[in-house]
Amino acid sequence: MGNESDKAAEAYKARAIKTWSGLPLKELYTPADVKGVDYDRDLGNAGEYPYTRGIYPSMYRGRQWTQKLLCGFGTPADTNERLKSYVKQGANALDIIPDVPSWIGIDADHPRAEGEVGVQGVNLTSLEDVEVMLQGLPLELPLILHGTNTMASPFELGSWVVLAQKRGISLASLRGTLLNDPLFTFYCSWWPEDKLLVDLALKLGIDAIEYCTESMPQVYSSYADGYNFREAGINAPQELALTLSKAICYADKCLERGLAIDDFAPRLSFCFSAHIDFFEEIAKIRAARRMWARIARERYGAKDARSVKLRFSVHTAGCSLVSAQPLNNIVRVAYQAMAAALAGAQAMDLCGYDEAVNIPSEEAGILSLRTQQILACETGITSVADPLGGSYYVESLTNRLEEEAGKILREIEDMGGIVQAIKTEWVDRLIDREALNHQKDVETGQRIVVGQNAFTMDEAQTLGDYHRTRPQSEAEQIANVTRLKRTRDNRPVKEALDKLRRRAEAGERVNLMPEVIEAVRAYATVGEIAGAIRQAYGFRYDPFGEVEAPFG
Amino acid sequence: MAKSKIRVLISKVGLDGHDRGAKVVASLLREAGMEVVYLGRFQTPENIVHAALQEDVDVIGLSCLSGEHLSHTPKVVKLMRENKMDDVILIVGGVFPKEEIARLKETGVDGVFMGTMVGPVVDYIRENVRGGRV
Repeated sequence: MGNESDKAAEAYKARAIKTWSGLPLKELYTPADVKGVDYDRDLGNAGEYPYTRGIYPSMYRGRQWTQKLLCGFGTPADTNERLKSYVKQGANALDIIPDVPSWIGIDADHPRAEGEVGVQGVNLTSLEDVEVMLQGLPLELPLILHGTNTMASPFELGSWVVLAQKRGISLASLRGTLLNDPLFTFYCSWWPEDKLLVDLALKLGIDAIEYCTESMPQVYSSYADGYNFREAGINAPQELALTLSKAICYADKCLERGLAIDDFAPRLSFCFSAHIDFFEEIAKIRAARRMWARIARERYGAKDARSVKLRFSVHTAGCSLVSAQPLNNIVRVAYQAMAAALAGAQAMDLCGYDEAVNIPSEEAGILSLRTQQILACETGITSVADPLGGSYYVESLTNRLEEEAGKILREIEDMGGIVQAIKTEWVDRLIDREALNHQKDVETGQRIVVGQNAFTMDEAQTLGDYHRTRPQSEAEQIANVTRLKRTRDNRPVKEALDKLRRRAEAGERVNLMPEVIEAVRAYATVGEIAGAIRQAYGFRYDPFGEVEAPFG
Repeated sequence: MAKSKIRVLISKVGLDGHDRGAKVVASLLREAGMEVVYLGRFQTPENIVHAALQEDVDVIGLSCLSGEHLSHTPKVVKLMRENKMDDVILIVGGVFPKEEIARLKETGVDGVFMGTMVGPVVDYIRENVRGGRV
């Protein structure tokens, strides 16, 4: 044990001279480190350009961050029950994650869905599933829809629209967030044809933005996510650069479609990881706000202050969690959440402490909500806007993150933008290299991970009750979907799909949402809707080539 | 005569896309001197066993991070038995609750690895490989 402490002490000394991302650190920061900073130009008060210190003058006194709790497993009825429990416990948004078949855009009865239905999230094959999942839950709560960055996106947005219409709720009153970030999914790969679909993914993403801009103006309709890139292996400045390069891409595409910057940018939201290096993560987010403000105003000429303010959600870093001694993860998550609050997050989603082992149990989910509640209501850190502003260290590190990210951003721009960087697999190579280097540092003990390569225990801590999806969920959901297909009136389904296919053939600028909505209303499935669009764009109906298009 | 190198097939199985772990393990096994075939994402048990036979591997390593290990792994085991691949070891890596690790082993998986260290995987393969390669 003594030996292990010595080793860790050595590694600690090596660790202390740089940030998690490898940026060099001094042992003390002084006024000399912030000499070039002009308060009005570079910081501004909270609520003032360039928003380095936060986007609202009163920050959390004005409005708490949204406390999200990601939920989705089994049948829609299983998830409905858990969502109701979370709302009762104080969750103030419905944060829903579909299973992998739903993300890919194949139905629960697809042969390749076997063993996957309801496993990683809730299965949503048709409008009926969305109706069951949200039964008895108020649509007045913000709805956060994961999967709205894949072939399932038109179906998911369409289902929200039809459900609201059926309940007599005006679309203009709906609030929530589409995780409409069509470029991110190539790195969790919910697209079996992979990068061949980049252009179609972007087209569908812009359709959703355009539709929401006109009909659901309160919904955050586009999303630039750094979290999943970070989880794949990259560091903080790389996360910042890739995220901003996606926001630039979506802005360019919206302008091409004929929208004005101030039409959609007020409804663009960002997501960042809160990783384990406390100050580096805070500096990353402060730098992000300043960089986006300047991009929006200087590059795009945005006039509306809401276009210029970077709003973001934080997800704590799942990849920082350790399966050994899992209770330690409670501490990791709490520090990460505190960093997010000090950085001025608008929403947070905290990992369950058992997430390195399984989908979070209900107990772990509620604990992650309590972590946010303690932070918000007890610690007092929410009373004052940007409490770390003016710190020699934090301001200097914020500048450094901006500088590093700026270099990478220019490199991407020189390549022709993020779409090119993705198509040429530059992004893949970056991720693979960084993930491998990180792992080598952990293997050699140069990077300490408590419980993993230091301070290990022979006798593992055991978790409380872990999450189990009911074993019969999958069979029940497949039965639901086959019953729906057997009993629905197929004539309007076929008509709606034919119409959708014809519209999709009319060109990239034609927005498909009106036809998708009618297909959803007729209970066409996610696979049928995605398939019709895929066929119009020259891809086979089924991404796996195993299922024939229905109705001839 | 020098003995030939240990041959390993690493693959994702099913629809789960989280491939950071699989790729890192593949790279580090290669750096440890093994010959590694990385099949990638969206593989079926049939593809995996077919490729393992074609490539004459000593080890099949599956990666599952989304809870689908219990549905896909038994199929790989069954196909390995049908093809009399008694000299091939099967290892699985990912995130699993403790009880499910036991279930995977009952199913016929030789080694189950969870957590972020690859060193123990290298050691395990060297100690357990059956074909005489090193």
